[in-house]
Amino acid sequence: MQNHENPTPKSRVYLDHNATTPHSPALKAKWMEFIEISGNPSSIHQDSRIPKTILRETRQKISDLLSCSPLEIIFNSGASEGNSSVLKSAFNTLKETRNEFLVSQVEHPSIIKTAEYLISQGAVVHFIPVSKSGMIDMNFIRSKLSHKTALVSVMYANNETGTVFPIKEITELAHAQGALMHSDCVQLLGKAEVAFKELGVDYATFSAHKFYGLKGTGFCYVKKSTPWVPLVHGGGQERGRRGGTENVLGLAALNVVLDEIKNCGPKISEMKRLRDLMESKILSDISNVSITAKEGQRLTNTSSLVIDDVDGETLLMSLDLKFYSVSTGAACSSGNPEPSPVLLAMGLTRAEAQSSLRISLGWGTTEEQVVNFVNTLNEVVTKLREINLEEKKKENVG
Amino acid sequence: MLDNQTKPKSKGRVLVAMSGGVDSSVAAALLVEQGYEVIGATMQVWDYSTCDITEGNGTCCSSIDVDDARSVADKINIPFYVLNCEAKFKASVIDPFINAYLNGQTPLPCVNCNTYLKFDHLVKKMKELDCDYLATGHYAQIVYDENNHAHIKTSTDDWKDQTYFLFTIDPQIVSKLLFPIGHLKKPQVREIAEAKGLVVAKKKDSTGICFVGNKGYDNFIKEQVSSKILSTKKGQLKRYPTGEVMAEHEGIHLYTIGQSKGLGMTYHEKLFVLKIDADTNTVWVGDEKDLYSNEVEVIEPHWLSEVTDGSEYEVKIRYQHKASKAIVEKTERGIRLKFEEPQRAVAPGQAAVLYKNQKLIGGGWITLN
Repeated sequence: MQNHENPTPKSRVYLDHNATTPHSPALKAKWMEFIEISGNPSSIHQDSRIPKTILRETRQKISDLLSCSPLEIIFNSGASEGNSSVLKSAFNTLKETRNEFLVSQVEHPSIIKTAEYLISQGAVVHFIPVSKSGMIDMNFIRSKLSHKTALVSVMYANNETGTVFPIKEITELAHAQGALMHSDCVQLLGKAEVAFKELGVDYATFSAHKFYGLKGTGFCYVKKSTPWVPLVHGGGQERGRRGGTENVLGLAALNVVLDEIKNCGPKISEMKRLRDLMESKILSDISNVSITAKEGQRLTNTSSLVIDDVDGETLLMSLDLKFYSVSTGAACSSGNPEPSPVLLAMGLTRAEAQSSLRISLGWGTTEEQVVNFVNTLNEVVTKLREINLEEKKKENVG
Repeated sequence: MLDNQTKPKSKGRVLVAMSGGVDSSVAAALLVEQGYEVIGATMQVWDYSTCDITEGNGTCCSSIDVDDARSVADKINIPFYVLNCEAKFKASVIDPFINAYLNGQTPLPCVNCNTYLKFDHLVKKMKELDCDYLATGHYAQIVYDENNHAHIKTSTDDWKDQTYFLFTIDPQIVSKLLFPIGHLKKPQVREIAEAKGLVVAKKKDSTGICFVGNKGYDNFIKEQVSSKILSTKKGQLKRYPTGEVMAEHEGIHLYTIGQSKGLGMTYHEKLFVLKIDADTNTVWVGDEKDLYSNEVEVIEPHWLSEVTDGSEYEVKIRYQHKASKAIVEKTERGIRLKFEEPQRAVAPGQAAVLYKNQKLIGGGWITLN
């Protein structure tokens, strides 16, 4: 029997914070209190008072954080809803005069698939290339922008590589042509400190579960006087912009988490220290590893590795069995383990994309976890490479 | 949670191939009960994105089956992974399957799936995931001889026995294999699934070829192969032995040896497909008595145990075939089998598999020439 006595951690170590984050400890502490809240915020009787307050306070906190008006915030189920709503709003209101869209090639499927849908409805979509080093093609944007452009949509940062895009510059280009600007900002809050207002965008989309809140809770920033068509029609909630009884508990949870977001600067710095420590240890301990888009500006918590001669899927399983949660690409595409379309779009080869591993740290990640992780990664990579070598030898003999 | 002192020591780590069917689900559940550390894996072998979601019932490779395998894994509380094997499955199972039909043979895709996926790809995964064993839900048994060598033996369920599909297994890995349900009969397997509350307990048995489903292999081939290529397979039905042309046919891929229905012609007596000549696209039809042959040529053999020239073995020439006695004569390309009793409808492309006292000795591919 083989030896399974490798030092595995006592409990699972979560290093997949770009997929989702654990609930914040402050939120967990409040949970039993929240579960008592069951009123409908739209009711007239007094049971609606607390839910109404939660909505108002949470909306106010978001507008403080983003330096915008509370009226510019629409609550929804998360960024996939937000992204679909934004693209369809721009198309449905502007299609007679402007029916062209610019969308980066590395956007989330909720953008790419909506764009493909708009193409089927008669829109023209230009997909903006992103290089292997993570640079977005600004010349492409300049060349395709025109008086026919309805909307430009570029994410704040890419979920797989952590690459941060120059949203402010792109917004200026878009606005100069009278086009609207949207940014999928799911990887912003809790991972970067940005003066949001300076980005200048007309739309931005957020999901609470990416920053220690609950799944199914999100919001959309829609600048005053910007076109909007509701995706869900209903009872007039969100000033008629999004029907359906509000997700009161999700928003109560968001309210708690927003207090932590305000003061997360030191946490972001610590994630950067640990990520850099991790990367330098990986590069020094393990041979033939490269870090995708390391040259450009990146989120402080994300590391996308290409580990030569190792299958990312097998590596993920091996690490999982040793209690480490990491990812090979976007979580949405696992279960159907094809190489990541984002990495392929960035010009990685199929082999490189299949040898990719994404590690994304969080507020709770410790130095001990990171160091042990790299040691385990080294051990697993060594073993997998040995097996690959044996197999190749066998094939050559056979 | 058990602490380290009371937790029983694992009997080893096992990777179990879970198709989402009742057999492999029970195999996994039994291993857990026996004290192994079990990891479940399903090979995704076909792109189901365009499939009708109601198609999954009773076949072993639809996405609904992946969901079933996952829910069984959850129920018995083991880690579970989906392995993407689509490209490998297409290259080593689907393409040869189609080519065999286009060349007038009767393919046996389950053997290729075992050769190139279950007992190759998964063996590699077993090593990579630090597992001691690989388990499947096959109706087959592992037995050890006096020298402690592992052998494959037929299942106690004669009707379900699947050792016929296992003759290409590398003898080196037999000691690494576990067939947890091989000593059971199908009704017992269902009872265990029921008792353990597995969602698959009442699921239909997979019948036929998993990727073909209910549409039939001729429709499958029509979907996969261009009509231009299929039109080159048209030819004549000829009467054996006179050579009289009976009819034109739409393609040799629509015929298998022994077939008597749907020949595309009418005749006053019942005729059978005796031989398919791929070079001339001729399908030979004739009397049932001419379907029988005593000698069978076998090529590309794989042996799990030593085979003795001139000895008698029990031989199966198709899956649902009652093994018949034959003397083995070694040839340059493999073996020649001389059957005691004449065999009906020996089909090129199928396997001839040898046994001695229920022990799987090996086998090879039946050929005409």
